[in-house]
Amino acid sequence: MKVLNTRLITPRLCGLLLLIALPLVSLLGLMTGPVFISLADILSITLSGDGGNSQEKLIIEIIRLPRVILSLLVGALLATCGALLQGLFRNPLADPALIGVSAGASVGASVVIVFGSMFTAGGLLLGLSAISVGAFAGAIIASVIIFRLATGPQGTSVATMLLAGIAISALAGAATNTLSYLADNDMLRRISLWQMGNLQGASWDRVGLCALTATFLAVLIPREAGALNAMLLGESEARHLGVNVEWLKRRLIIYSALGVAISVAVAGVIAFVGLMVPHVIRLLVGPNHSALLPLSAMAGAILLVAADALARVVIAPAELPVGVVTALLGAPFFLWLLVVQRRRT
Amino acid sequence: MLNINSVGLTLSEVPLLNNITIDCPRGSVTALMGPNGAGKTSLLKVISGEHKASQGRVEINRQSRKDWKPAEIAQFMAVLPQSSTLEFAFTSEEVVALGRTPHATGTVRDAEIVTAALAKVDASYLAQRSFVQLSGGEKQRVQLARVLAQIWDHCEYEGEYEGDAPTDGILLLDEPSAAFDLAHQLMLIDIVQHISARGVTVVMVMHDLNLAAKCADQMVFMNCGHCTAVGAVTELLTPELIKKVFSVDAEVITHPLQGTPMVVV
Repeated sequence: MKVLNTRLITPRLCGLLLLIALPLVSLLGLMTGPVFISLADILSITLSGDGGNSQEKLIIEIIRLPRVILSLLVGALLATCGALLQGLFRNPLADPALIGVSAGASVGASVVIVFGSMFTAGGLLLGLSAISVGAFAGAIIASVIIFRLATGPQGTSVATMLLAGIAISALAGAATNTLSYLADNDMLRRISLWQMGNLQGASWDRVGLCALTATFLAVLIPREAGALNAMLLGESEARHLGVNVEWLKRRLIIYSALGVAISVAVAGVIAFVGLMVPHVIRLLVGPNHSALLPLSAMAGAILLVAADALARVVIAPAELPVGVVTALLGAPFFLWLLVVQRRRT
Repeated sequence: MLNINSVGLTLSEVPLLNNITIDCPRGSVTALMGPNGAGKTSLLKVISGEHKASQGRVEINRQSRKDWKPAEIAQFMAVLPQSSTLEFAFTSEEVVALGRTPHATGTVRDAEIVTAALAKVDASYLAQRSFVQLSGGEKQRVQLARVLAQIWDHCEYEGEYEGDAPTDGILLLDEPSAAFDLAHQLMLIDIVQHISARGVTVVMVMHDLNLAAKCADQMVFMNCGHCTAVGAVTELLTPELIKKVFSVDAEVITHPLQGTPMVVV
């Protein structure tokens, strides 16, 4: 009997490749930009704190290093949350936008952009601009509404959540459009740029906030891998395997809403990472979450750093929004992988 | 081991089960039979804990179903649903390994159990195949291996019987043989006999009266949410009862070699 193995590589090999790629891509991210900085200078600046000229040192310390680290963290958060949601909805096409986080964040950000003058007095909070705070609040409010709508005496229905997510996203979209209509030219430009995702605002404060969230989630999420695997069989099957499904669903929704909301707050809406990365990893190594979750985090981090580096150089000295680049890079690769997968099976 | 006491179930004001009482002693095989919509699957879901009984209660080892923690129950009770909706490309081996979720027996022991469970359902050759590409019967066999792996230590228990230990296994099967070919229907009977002989209590929904007659210790005829008759196979398989429950004219004859009753329509 011919043994058909549909996996392309083993999780171990995939992890190894990603571990090699991670520092290389990060170094590339530090080198590229309007000012090119050589590898030797980067190594001496980051490792020993001197070398290079003072301008290069400033660029690395204040601009590029926080930006690269922020990209790593946001990419990892988005990809991991995408993997969690795909497991929760038992649908490989689920995406963080489904729980209304992105749409809610857009409304929050737009409100602040359009009625911004009222908020400027507040100044910055934990290194976040008023826009980020608005986006975070919008994201959390939208996901809470969707969760409440989908939760009844029988527990949380993921099918209802999916529908509620679509409805709330449509509603939020209408609100954002209304705000865009009211906005003047400058506001309109800021709203649409924000919706394409952007890592320009990277700062050490934002890195700290993201790192805190990522650490918190990195401790909690791996514990759910076994239960998530059981969930793929179906909710009742998972229950029969001893998983407390209702609590699991709650935890997964909280983790992913938090992860995505923080990412959106610091970097705007970055499309495609949360949908595509876990999907690609699943095609490569299979759906086992104990491998899928960490590998997705690494691949998401790499993808976003690479995309951001590209965003800085394609039309230098101007910058492309990183969300545009993730889609430009990711979509063809995704399609290629789908074709390869179809041919093999 | 498993006692169903005057259980009633009403969902969205529709009465599905009414005053059902069945006793399933340790190591017994109970076949739930009846026309479509009789409440067989609903009863199985009350036992598995998916629905809470509206009246009466289910007792496992003389302790009410609702007093057991889900994680505790999962260590000795496994449930095979009618059909599976897994759409992620796990290999068959990985699907069976999910049956070990409630246990912390270590990867080495789990891998042994997975291999043995796949061999038991004649699916060793499917181990590396992607589950989503299997045929209906193959999928159901792999799922059967999964539930066997979940209660493997009970299925292969060879020690002395020491009363109703809380660790005795329970296996609930919902139309397990529906997708099986003839050889695998007989394989299923063998497996059920093998594990019940080792103390696992089996409750299964079945449509094939003759197949059920081969391995059941007691039969339950259900109709419209009521329990029409409970008893040994020879008591229940009569033309009169079959006519009453299934509205079918049938003859009951004796198997020329095995002596078991056979229903001929």
